[in-house]
Amino acid sequence: MKPRFWAIMRKELLHILRDPRSLIIVFLWPMLMVFIYGYAISFDIREIKLGLLDHDRSAVSRDFVRGMTASGYFRVVKVLPDRKTVEHGMVEGKFTALLVIPADFGKSLGTGPKAKVQLLVDGSNANTAAVAVNTLRSYCALRTIKLNAGTFRTPLTVEPRIWYNPDLKSADFIVPGLVAVVMMMICALLTSVTMARERENGTLEQILVSPVRPFETVAGKIAPYIVIALADSVLIIAFSMLVFGVPFRGDGALLLAASLAFVTCALGIGLFISSVARTQQVAMMASMVGTFLPSFLLSGFIFPLASLPKILQAVSYLVPAKYFLVIIRGVMLKDIGWGTAFRPLLFLVLFGSVVMLASVRRFKIRLED
Amino acid sequence: MGKIGFIIRKEFLQIRRDRPMMALIFMVPIIQLLILGYAVSTDVKNVGIAVCDLDQSPLSRELVGRFRHSRYLRVKAEGTHPDMIASALKGGRASIGLVIPRNLTARISHSAVGADPVSLQVLLDGQDSNTATVALGYVTGILEGYVQEKLLSAAVAAAGEGQGPVVIEPEIRIWFNSELKASHYMVPGIAVFLLTMITSLISAMGLVREKEIGTLDQLLVSPIKKHELLIGKIIPFAVVGFIELTLAVAFAKVWYGIPMAGNLALFALFAVIYLFTTLGIGLFVSAAAQTQQQAMFMTVFLLFFFIIMSGFLFPIENMPRIMRILSLLNPMRYLIAATRAIFIKGAGLHSLYPQLLVLVAFGAVIFPFAVRRFQSRMK
Repeated sequence: MKPRFWAIMRKELLHILRDPRSLIIVFLWPMLMVFIYGYAISFDIREIKLGLLDHDRSAVSRDFVRGMTASGYFRVVKVLPDRKTVEHGMVEGKFTALLVIPADFGKSLGTGPKAKVQLLVDGSNANTAAVAVNTLRSYCALRTIKLNAGTFRTPLTVEPRIWYNPDLKSADFIVPGLVAVVMMMICALLTSVTMARERENGTLEQILVSPVRPFETVAGKIAPYIVIALADSVLIIAFSMLVFGVPFRGDGALLLAASLAFVTCALGIGLFISSVARTQQVAMMASMVGTFLPSFLLSGFIFPLASLPKILQAVSYLVPAKYFLVIIRGVMLKDIGWGTAFRPLLFLVLFGSVVMLASVRRFKIRLED
Repeated sequence: MGKIGFIIRKEFLQIRRDRPMMALIFMVPIIQLLILGYAVSTDVKNVGIAVCDLDQSPLSRELVGRFRHSRYLRVKAEGTHPDMIASALKGGRASIGLVIPRNLTARISHSAVGADPVSLQVLLDGQDSNTATVALGYVTGILEGYVQEKLLSAAVAAAGEGQGPVVIEPEIRIWFNSELKASHYMVPGIAVFLLTMITSLISAMGLVREKEIGTLDQLLVSPIKKHELLIGKIIPFAVVGFIELTLAVAFAKVWYGIPMAGNLALFALFAVIYLFTTLGIGLFVSAAAQTQQQAMFMTVFLLFFFIIMSGFLFPIENMPRIMRILSLLNPMRYLIAATRAIFIKGAGLHSLYPQLLVLVAFGAVIFPFAVRRFQSRMK
């Protein structure tokens, strides 16, 4: 058993080492991903481009606008003289929202009971539009409360306290999640082509007629990738801690166990695709669709699962990355223990065993063809 | 021309004979359209909230009721002991906790004019900073809305006497996508994403495959000229890309009900010009790569940056300054912006000609450069 397993593993290692370009990408890519995701991506919508049409032109209206932009949500990019150019500016995207202050705004504020402002919003990007609308509503409510503070009671206020990530750094959330996406992608992409390449080049028959058993072939082929994947994840975690100051509060052993289980799932999927696909192109396309997309979109990595339609939420229960994300974020940010992590961990172990067994079986069937 | 025709036929035969490949070329886009159209939205909905009502009064129940009726929040746990909030947050059942203090009613009715307001404690799971910020906005909005309503009714009641409070009332109108559907914004982006991915990936891998298997040499020693070989290989990829694009546009209209506000021919013009860029990238990669695996890695690697820096998923305006400047070098950015403007706002050539010119420039630089690289590699 041993020498044959080692032989296959050595051969696979040589394949990897002889292709330094791929190897560089395998290690450089995760670092760049961490850097870009940690640094460049933020969903906070700030500085929405605001056009201003102020019919009032009074000190009161100017003060209203100043207060509105002080929050940082809006930035006045254009002051319009009249309504004529509104549509043009909106279509060209010169501004995303237009604040119209009617001529009697200042006067109405003095006499009461109501002063109106109008906001025209470009709804193309639903998300930005919703933030613009909510921010203006909230700002008006706040102004109203302040305006009446001397004469009327303003009974309630909110005192927020933020746990686990008090500075609300998006890197703390996104970067640990990146480990899951990168590991899944690299494992599946690398392993999915290994078998397909042998088949395409005609060397699979040679392995099949050799005395190596299917189990040994599979084990020998995946062992190097387990090492690469784990090295990649250690690299990402270290990089994110050093560069972005992401905390690591929990149990390293728990994370290691979960990582091993998760890598097994990823490699299992890659191997399975590999044993089914006939050409490398098919293997790669299939592994992109089968692993990268769900890990990226249906795992809660960036896009909240609770906002998904019911069917996609149901599909997400079959995505290993979803469970791994719970564990890695839990360990790094919340210090969860083995008890809380038990169920997701169990799923990963089960999923990994099933796909591994399935691909070894698949390989055996090929042998008997 | 005859020779080019042969190469084109050979390519199509090759694509057609490869059943799994055919399935993938057409299934992948459909899956992506289905999943991306729904999944890629940063809307924060159905946020779990745990409410601990220590006051148990009509007022506190009214407040809790407002949370229960929110479109964005789901009350996942209710109780009368503060510990329940900690356990709901740690276990991940809820990401917000609200504590209504024991003597809320009494403190509100006894508070004097101008006194500090009573504060309600809101605990947030800050892990997902976006959800936390937005959710806090919802909670604040609900409470401020409550106060605003009370003031407004007082203002209306006191309207005649001129003694009542004054209320600023926002009036909001939404243009172009008045139901604020995220898919209207995402799906045009997906069409561009598919066109970019399929055309650059297939062309990169298709050429390297011949290299890897060794059939490229056979083609090179045949009487076919190099440029004929190139044209013959590239046209089928462009055709496949266009089929994908048609599929995406049809899907956008039929499945997602996105009104095609603008001119389809203008969009096709943009796409054709853009193809020179993506096919150029494919050619460039296939000149550099030795194996299909390398070609795929290089393409995916490049596309990854294209996608991130294009505004497809992540708004460019939010990025740091350097990234915003870098994104100006990304051709995909211009097509995404133009496609969205054409689809959603019905923008015409007179407002989109800057984007068109930039894309022409990209194609005019990248494509000839890639062709020259490829030809020199073939020698």
